[in-house]
Amino acid sequence: MSQFTQQVILGLLLGGVYVAVALGFSLVWGILNIVNLAHGALVIVGAYITWVLFTRLHIDPFLSLPVDALALFVIGYALQRGVINRVIRAPLLFTFLLTFGINLVIVSLLLLIFTGDFRSVTPAYSGSGLHIGAVVIPYIRLGGLVAALVLAGILWAVLNRTRSGAAILAVGADRDAAQLVGVDLRHIYALTFAIGAAFAGVAGGIISTFQSITPTAGDPYTLQAFVVVILGGLGRVSATVAGGLAFGLIEVLGQSAHWLGSGYANAIAFVVLVVVLVVRPRGLLGRLA
Amino acid sequence: MTMRYIIRMRGARLGALLAGLAVFLAACGGSSSANAPTTGSTIVFGAAVSLTGSQSKEGALTKQGYDLWLDWIKARGGIVVNNVKHPVEIKYEDDQSNANLSATLVQKLITDEKANFILGPYGSAATASDAVIAEKNGIPMVEANGAAQSIFSKGYKFTFGVLSPANKYLTGVIDMAATLSPKPTTIAMLTANDNFSVEVAKAVEDYAPSKGMQVVFTKQYPAAAPDVSGLISQAKQKNPDIVMNSGHLAESIAINKAAEQLGLDAKIFAYSVGPSTPDFISALGGDANYVYDGSQWTPQVKYTPAFYLSVADYVKAYKAKFSSNEDPDYHVAESTAACLAFQKALENAGSLDPVKVRDALASLDVMTFFGQIKFDSRGINTFKPMVVEQIQSGTHYTVFPANVANGSPKYPTPSWSSR
Repeated sequence: MSQFTQQVILGLLLGGVYVAVALGFSLVWGILNIVNLAHGALVIVGAYITWVLFTRLHIDPFLSLPVDALALFVIGYALQRGVINRVIRAPLLFTFLLTFGINLVIVSLLLLIFTGDFRSVTPAYSGSGLHIGAVVIPYIRLGGLVAALVLAGILWAVLNRTRSGAAILAVGADRDAAQLVGVDLRHIYALTFAIGAAFAGVAGGIISTFQSITPTAGDPYTLQAFVVVILGGLGRVSATVAGGLAFGLIEVLGQSAHWLGSGYANAIAFVVLVVVLVVRPRGLLGRLA
Repeated sequence: MTMRYIIRMRGARLGALLAGLAVFLAACGGSSSANAPTTGSTIVFGAAVSLTGSQSKEGALTKQGYDLWLDWIKARGGIVVNNVKHPVEIKYEDDQSNANLSATLVQKLITDEKANFILGPYGSAATASDAVIAEKNGIPMVEANGAAQSIFSKGYKFTFGVLSPANKYLTGVIDMAATLSPKPTTIAMLTANDNFSVEVAKAVEDYAPSKGMQVVFTKQYPAAAPDVSGLISQAKQKNPDIVMNSGHLAESIAINKAAEQLGLDAKIFAYSVGPSTPDFISALGGDANYVYDGSQWTPQVKYTPAFYLSVADYVKAYKAKFSSNEDPDYHVAESTAACLAFQKALENAGSLDPVKVRDALASLDVMTFFGQIKFDSRGINTFKPMVVEQIQSGTHYTVFPANVANGSPKYPTPSWSSR
């Protein structure tokens, strides 16, 4: 029984990471209709910022998360305004190509700057955890989950409690109508992408605490963000949270299934994804399109 | 995936290296024939190694190993075959880390460049496709960088591998464990689901019972899995004495971290690939200590070679030639060993005839700085043991077998909470 509890907890902790990664991805997809293939690369940029601050200035990785957010916000704003905005109304394939290219550029830049060596952020408490009976909850993973949920709360508050958030939602609902009532489209596009990038940066900071990072380590996270958004549904913060936690649980419990090798963990997750698409195409909590 | 990118970066240095080599070849090309009274025809070795693409780092290391021997043999004027001194040349092609292209290039080396013999490429995949070409042309190939046994299960007669096969990677750790007290008896075996890793793990499962050990937990995970904490918490339930991982660098780092976080204490942590690289220590710091791995060769081994350089002189020659502060990697050493196998076989054969050299390779039995080189009927060097390394206070020590070791195993590994 305690083993099952342990697995569930580990699944939720992993799910927290997926939530953090998918929040920004979901926002950009939902509002700008861009499937951002460079999202994983932005995540890793955040991870490197945390790593640099940790190794050079000995700043605790969780304290560096706001720095990640700020830096990526600026990068994201400039990237959208300067580059991505040019194809914002182009067919989906163009945005695919462009973001794929941006992904390559970022990864190559990271290689030039940091080389491909494995980097790791190891604060003093990285090995310890909370022991409750036979169940162990590693502190840094717990910190990651808490940070992810805080992020989700911030995103919800920004979208639902601020003027800019209302503008973002308006643009997502109908860009022409939004423009008619005086919303500055270019600014809102860039702002949305910047928020997405900032969240990616924070996710990267979280990831750097438990995983060794390399310039290409972000690639799988783009795919996972995609799955989480499909699973949870587009257009709601709560849907992304549900999708992320569900995906983490499915992966970990899939690994521990005795009748299946854990080599099938990915397969199980994607089978669930297909089932969701067939049975409930809008995702677990998604709005009807 | 990540290693590949590293390589792309460092590949830039290759240009400089090649230029240096060209100057060097030009410098010693003239003098070598002058001091040999009976000079025979030049022996041409062909090698298609990865100088660009995803495996250019490993390809560069392979080439370093070949070139190191080439310098040495050139300084001696060449290989003496039947009292005639034959100058030596190595012709390189770049397979761009593409196994199919590798085969094409080997054919080109044989037909256009008139290569007498083939030195292997980097990697099991390229080696497997080159072996077909060597076989078809009846040209012997000695390879140093393809550990998969599947290469040798096809009945080829002209391909020989100087390195220990995949199934030996972790069995050395079991041999070592059997000598320790209190003797560990239970093993948890984690495996990435790629072919090489599965071959390594299967060998452990087959071999452990013969040493009185039991594999109590075995699980495969997808290669490059981002999170292994679920697996580690399951393994912990079994309370194993030995935790083994057959995978790659990123996974061995992830497993070591998860073991610490979840408090999985074992007497031995041993990983097939990863701990021998400097990245493992820099990523994990003090947590890398006590970890074991299997290695083809280390700069600390104590073999007494019958010819060529001693281990210490080899390390010195490497550092001098490549102006490096780092010791040579085992990829370099095994590549040099492939050249040594050819040299000795040519001397023993007393002929440049490919079939006679092939037969001499088949019956070769010689001790080198890399260890014993002797091939079984399939052409694999099953006679050289893998050595076991342990990280102690941030430094690699060779701890097994005892006769080549420069340290002794620190055993048992202390619990995470007491470190």
